[in-house]
Amino acid sequence: MFKTIPFAKGVNLHIRQTTQFKTVNFSIKWRRPLTAESASERTVLTNVLQHSNAKYTTTAAFRSFLDDLYGTVLYFDTSKRGNEHTVLMNVEAVNDQYLANTSVLNEVLGLLHTAIFEPNLENGVFKESIVAREKKMVIQRIESIFDDKSRFAQQRLQQMLRPNEPASISANGTVEAIDNITVASLFAAYESMLANDKIDIYVAGDIDEDEIVAKLKQALPFKDRTPDEIPAILPQKHPQQDYVREQHDMKQGKLHIGFSTPVRFGDADFAKMQIFNGVFGGYPHAKLFMNVREKESLAYYASSSYASHYGLLFVVSGIEPKNEEKALSLIKEQLAVMQAGDISALELEQTKAMLTNQLKESLDSARGQIEIYDQYKDLPEEFSVETWANKWRAVTKDDVIEMAKQVQLEAVYFLCGKEQAAQ
Amino acid sequence: MKTIEFKQLDETLYYEKLENGLDVYILPKKGFSKTFVTFTTKYGSVDRTFVPIGETESVTVPDGIAHFLEHKMFEKEDGDVFQKFSEYGASANAFTSFTRTAYLFSSTDNIYKSTETLLNFVQEPYFTEATVNKEKGIIGQEITMYDDQPDWRLYFGTIENMYHSHPVKIDIAGTIGSIDGITADHLYTCYHTFYHPSNMLLFAIGAVDPEEMMAFIRENQGKKEFPEPTPIQRFFDEEPTEVAVKERTLHMDVQKPKLYIGLKAKQTGLSGRDMLKHELSVQIALELIFGRTSNFYERIYDEGLIDESYAFDFTLENGFGFAMIGSDTTEPVALEQAIKAELAKYEGNAQFASNDLERIKRKKIGFFLRALNSIEFIANQFTRYSFNDMNLFDVLPVLEELTIEDLTTAFATVQGESQQTVFKVLPTEKGEQ
Repeated sequence: MFKTIPFAKGVNLHIRQTTQFKTVNFSIKWRRPLTAESASERTVLTNVLQHSNAKYTTTAAFRSFLDDLYGTVLYFDTSKRGNEHTVLMNVEAVNDQYLANTSVLNEVLGLLHTAIFEPNLENGVFKESIVAREKKMVIQRIESIFDDKSRFAQQRLQQMLRPNEPASISANGTVEAIDNITVASLFAAYESMLANDKIDIYVAGDIDEDEIVAKLKQALPFKDRTPDEIPAILPQKHPQQDYVREQHDMKQGKLHIGFSTPVRFGDADFAKMQIFNGVFGGYPHAKLFMNVREKESLAYYASSSYASHYGLLFVVSGIEPKNEEKALSLIKEQLAVMQAGDISALELEQTKAMLTNQLKESLDSARGQIEIYDQYKDLPEEFSVETWANKWRAVTKDDVIEMAKQVQLEAVYFLCGKEQAAQ
Repeated sequence: MKTIEFKQLDETLYYEKLENGLDVYILPKKGFSKTFVTFTTKYGSVDRTFVPIGETESVTVPDGIAHFLEHKMFEKEDGDVFQKFSEYGASANAFTSFTRTAYLFSSTDNIYKSTETLLNFVQEPYFTEATVNKEKGIIGQEITMYDDQPDWRLYFGTIENMYHSHPVKIDIAGTIGSIDGITADHLYTCYHTFYHPSNMLLFAIGAVDPEEMMAFIRENQGKKEFPEPTPIQRFFDEEPTEVAVKERTLHMDVQKPKLYIGLKAKQTGLSGRDMLKHELSVQIALELIFGRTSNFYERIYDEGLIDESYAFDFTLENGFGFAMIGSDTTEPVALEQAIKAELAKYEGNAQFASNDLERIKRKKIGFFLRALNSIEFIANQFTRYSFNDMNLFDVLPVLEELTIEDLTTAFATVQGESQQTVFKVLPTEKGEQ
C-alpha cells in the first residue's frame, strides 16, 4: 500500500501515490516509551510548536500564512499505543491541480521545515510567556474530562484496572507533571525528540515520487539515531478493588466494566478475539445492543470495545441508576451465554461482514490509509485487506467460545447522581 | 436522467425526479471502495404544527416526535433492521435535526441489497402501542444522557434564550414528559404527512454506477403506490426580532464556567443563491472578527479569557437562524464584556479589509476542496442545501464573487443589541443541588 524508503537510521519514509484525493496529506510521527512525564512534556511541546515559530512569531501571523495557502491544515497532537507515546504532526494541503496558477506544494514543504526546525526562541530556549500559557491550556484540557461524565468514568475504570501503567496514563500527561515543566526542560525534550525518537514520515496524494523524496530530504534533515527500545507489554494482573461507586451531581448512571483477555494485538488469536468482541458488543447486531437496549429498554447505548494493545475489553452503558444491578447481571449474562456456546451462524457472518467492511471503508480516506498501515506495518506479514478478511473468515464458533472462556471480569465502576446512589 | 458537470472540481452529478416525486442524485467518486446512501425527509423537530395529509384542520403533535419516529422506523414485525444491514456488512444510522430526518448506510459490498433495505424500511412503517411504549425507556436514557452534557445544555440554553415561540427552542428529542404522550397513531399521522416521496431526497455517492443505480431505484419506487402529492402546510407563530431572554445561568457539576453569546438572525426568509450568499457572508464576517487570525482572538487568548474550547458558528434555516460565540472560561464576566465590546465596534459601520477578505476566501476554498474528499460531507450537505433550494457546488463561484459590501450588509442582520443574549453554565455552589 505504502512504499517504504529508509530516510535515515531510525527514520522511515512511507509514500503512497494516488489520485483518489483532492489534497496531499503529510503525517510525521515521533515515538518513544510512554511515561507520565514524557507524555506531559511532549503534549505541552505540541501546543508550543503549533502556536508559532521563528518565521511567524504570533498565532495570527502563522494562521494567516496557512489561510493564504488555501487553508492548509497544520496541527500537532499526541497519542499512545501500547507502551509507546507518539507526537504527530499532520498537514493537509490542496492539490495544485484544483487551483488556478498556484504552487502550494513547495510552500508547504518549506512550512514543514519551519514548523519543526525553526522554533520561536528567546535566549536559546522557548519563550517563557508562551510556555506558561500553553501549560495552562493543556492542564485545562486534562481537567475538562471531569465535565464529560462518560470520559470521566472511563478514565476512573482504567485507573482502577491498571494504576500508573501505560493503559491508564493519558497521552496528554498529568497535571502534576505539567506543573514541573520549565522552559529548559521543555527545550531539552524538544531536542531529544528531534534527535532520538523513532520517526515515521507519511505522504499520500497525487505526488511525483522522486521529486517528493528529494524535496523532503531537504525539508526534513533528520539525522541517524538509535531510538530507545519500547518496553515489552506488562503482564496482566488483578486490580486491588473490583467494584467502585462514585457520585457526581448528575442524572444518568454510567456503568463501565473492565474485562481482561490474554490475547493482544498481533497474537495468533487476535482475529478470533476481534470476532468475539463484535458478537458481544461491537455492533448494533451484537448481544449487548440487542438485549440491554432493544429487548430490555435499559439504555440508549450499550457496547463493548477491545483495547487490543493492553489485553483489555471495556463495556459501557448509560442507565437509570436504579437499574445498576439489573444491567450488570444482564451484561454478565451475555458473556456467560457466549461461553456456553450460544452464538448463531448469523451473528458470526454479520460480524465478519462488518469487520471486513469497516477495514475497507477506512482506506477511503488518506488519514485512514496512514493510520491503518501504521498500525499493521510492524506485523510479520505484509498488510492487505484480503489477508485480514481471510483470517476473519476462518474463525469458527468454537474459536469464539474459546475466546469467551478466556475473558475475565476484572472491575466495575459506577458513576451516578448523589441522591440516587444505590444502597 | 440528467447529467450535471462541475469541470473545475472534476465531478459529475446525475439527477432524476421520479414519477412519485422523489429527487434522486447520484455522484460516482473515482478511487473509492465504499458507497454511501442517504434517504432524507424534509421533516425535523420544528415541524410540530401542520395539517395532516388528507385533512383540513391543523394539529400540534408532542415534542420530540420526529426523532421518536426516526427510532421507531428501525423496528419491524420481523425484527430489527440493523440485523439486515449487518448481514450485508453495511453500517447503518439515522439522525434527526431541526429540519431533516436522514436514514443512511455505507458499505463496500452488497450495495443494491442495502439500498433496497434502506428504501423499503423507510417506506414500510410498522408501529404498535407495545413497540412505541418500549422505545420510551431507550429515548428516555438518550434524553438523560444529553441532560448531563454541559456543552449541549449551553447550546440549547442559548437557543431557548433567543426564541419566544419558534419550535427551534424545543430540544430535538423532546422531554421525558412529552415523549410519554406519543402514540402509534401520532407516528402514523406524522409519517404519512412527511414521508411522501415528493418530500424526500435520495443521494448515492461513492463506488456507484449511475445508470444501474438509477434504474434500480426507479424500479423499486415504481412498484410502490403513493397518494397524489399535496403541498404540506406547516404553521409557525410570528417571531419577534429581539431575543426572548437577555441573560440566563444554569448551575451544573462542571469544573469551569462556560459562556455563549447568541446573536439572533433577522434575515431568515431567504432561499436559493441569495441564502447561500448571505450565509457565506455572515460566516466570513464572523471569521474576520472572531477567527484565529483576528486581533480580538490574539488578545483574549493572551489575556487567558478563553481556552481550546473557544468556538463560533452560524446556523441558518428557513424561519430561524443564529450565530454563537463562546468558550469555557475562568472569567465569564470579562469574556462577556470583551465579546460585546468587539461586537459594538462593528455596530452600524462594520469595516472589513479587502486583503483579509481575500485571505479568508482562500481558506474557505481550501476547506471546501478538502471537504469534497468526504463522501459523507457531500451527501449530507448537498441534501441540506437542496432542501433550501441551494446547490452545494455553487459554494465556490459564490465565494469567489463575495465583496466587502456583501459582508457588511449580511453582518448587519445579526448584530443589533436587542438580538444579543448570554447563557452561562456555572459550577454548582457548595451545598447547592
